[in-house]
Amino acid sequence: MPDSQPSGSFSTRPDAGGRRLRRVLLAVFALAVLLVLIAPLSTSDQADALGLPVLVDKSQIRILTTIAMFVVMATAWNLVGGLTGYGAFGNVAFFGLGAYACAVLVDPHKFHLPMLAGIALAPLVPIAFAVFVGLPLLRLRSHYFSIATLGTAVAVGEVVKNVEYLGGANGLFPPIVRRGDLLFLYLMVAAAAIAVGSVYLVLRSRFGYGLIAIRENEDAAAVLGVNTTLYKVAAFALAAGLTGLAGAVFAVWNSFINQELGFSLDFNIQMILMAVVGGAGTLFGPVLGAILLELLLQALAGQGTVAVYAQIGLGLLLAVTVIFVPRGLVDFFGGSSRLSLGYLRRTLRETSV
Amino acid sequence: MALLSLAHVNKRFGGVSALTDVGFQVEQGEILGLIGPNGAGKTTLLNCISGVFPLDGGSIHFAGQRISGLPPHRIARLGIGRTFQVVKPFLSMTVRENAAVGALFGASNLQPRQAFQAADDVLELVGMAAKSGNPVGSLTIPDRKRLEVARALATKPRLLLLDEVMAGLNAVEVDEALDMVRTVHQSGVTIVLIEHVMKVVVGLCQRVVVLNFGQPLAAGTPEEVLRDERVIEAYLGEKYAARVRRAGG
Repeated sequence: MPDSQPSGSFSTRPDAGGRRLRRVLLAVFALAVLLVLIAPLSTSDQADALGLPVLVDKSQIRILTTIAMFVVMATAWNLVGGLTGYGAFGNVAFFGLGAYACAVLVDPHKFHLPMLAGIALAPLVPIAFAVFVGLPLLRLRSHYFSIATLGTAVAVGEVVKNVEYLGGANGLFPPIVRRGDLLFLYLMVAAAAIAVGSVYLVLRSRFGYGLIAIRENEDAAAVLGVNTTLYKVAAFALAAGLTGLAGAVFAVWNSFINQELGFSLDFNIQMILMAVVGGAGTLFGPVLGAILLELLLQALAGQGTVAVYAQIGLGLLLAVTVIFVPRGLVDFFGGSSRLSLGYLRRTLRETSV
Repeated sequence: MALLSLAHVNKRFGGVSALTDVGFQVEQGEILGLIGPNGAGKTTLLNCISGVFPLDGGSIHFAGQRISGLPPHRIARLGIGRTFQVVKPFLSMTVRENAAVGALFGASNLQPRQAFQAADDVLELVGMAAKSGNPVGSLTIPDRKRLEVARALATKPRLLLLDEVMAGLNAVEVDEALDMVRTVHQSGVTIVLIEHVMKVVVGLCQRVVVLNFGQPLAAGTPEEVLRDERVIEAYLGEKYAARVRRAGG
């Protein structure tokens, strides 16, 4: 039956299962928002003052903030890796540049801007960087592009580490914001909303259709009139800006940034893993992946050697996902492609008498 | 004034001269056939016109504007659509979405809502409306070729370059495809087509240009060209040409 909608998302065609999943995701999202809204009444400080029971302690707020941060990064990666089909492997460079830019902007001895101004302006640095390196790098395809982006990210981290103005190996220390847990949770959730909202708009625009056409066949896209270079660089720059925004909030939240934190290879791999496990190319896949994997990582964290095995487990998880569920969990549980549960169920129903 | 005019077009790949001094014109509203033995440079020429390959010499003008040197997307925007001999569909999309991408870009350059309506119109024109919701992966080769034409047509081209859309089709499918090309032509599109199936060349083209070893060998009506000794020689060899000469003389 032809789709009666005049437009729609290309990569997920919801059948009954898809709509159910969408409802579940929306319910989860609504619950998360509710939690964020009631959180002020339930942290220890405020709860003590008002005599209320403590519902969310500070460490849980920290975990929520971290989840929101990875939602931003996985969603931003999805623009390049999922929609455009270019396997970027160095997006952490944008995170680091955003974090350092923000740290410099709010530093009392450097630019001394207000915190919010610093966060708002910081993404311009990774955006400029993405345009500068994107023009040559996006001429490469498949694994050549992946390796080049990884190399670029590592190189930028090493350069930053050796610049005296950026604190060298010691890093930078943005001023500590007292009792800022909730503020940073709100800021990170706002960044996540901006990221998911951007991808939502992209998926419905000519820009998004062009990106998917590039992923599916770049030569065909070009002769149909897609300005492939412009589109690829624009997607790369948008991903850079969003990832840099997460980095900027992280820098002031953490009130410390150095090369190992800003250009962490763990972050680099985790954001890709989250997007791929959740469902690259879909709107909610990276969100789902970020929530599930970050909760898993938090559950395993701080248990000595378990954390080391967790790293190995993540690598295995990536391999298993790419081989068996290449379109991610969102498609597996809610989609209608040949790799989904819905398809399996339908096929079983149709073939059994 | 000619819609498309090529002058002294040269293209080399390393030491191999793929096109040497190719020049001809395409008039508004005609169907021009581009024929020649394998390796003659037909597809290379299409790639040069659509901007996929840069030229090594000469110039190409479209509707009075020089297009040689422009990138493919600029040329598409000016109103030249093309298909690929080896079809290049967007596999994760449906038939309708494939056509809609054409309507979103190229000379039509529509917003998504209008583009999907334009896609429906084009699919109707090429006879694929019934399959518009199908995923491309489920299509047969003739249908994929149809879709290739639909997608190019959705860009609203003034000139359509068709690269062997009939190759690999059986007799019935060729007849269907012939009807499709005629319908497209009647909708006001000038067509240049590469073809090996002579039935198509004779049945469709008002004029034919023959390429051989990257050089224009002959040009004229299909009947003239197919009687031309040099063309017979190029296709079938010197001996056969001599036999035709004896039989004819």
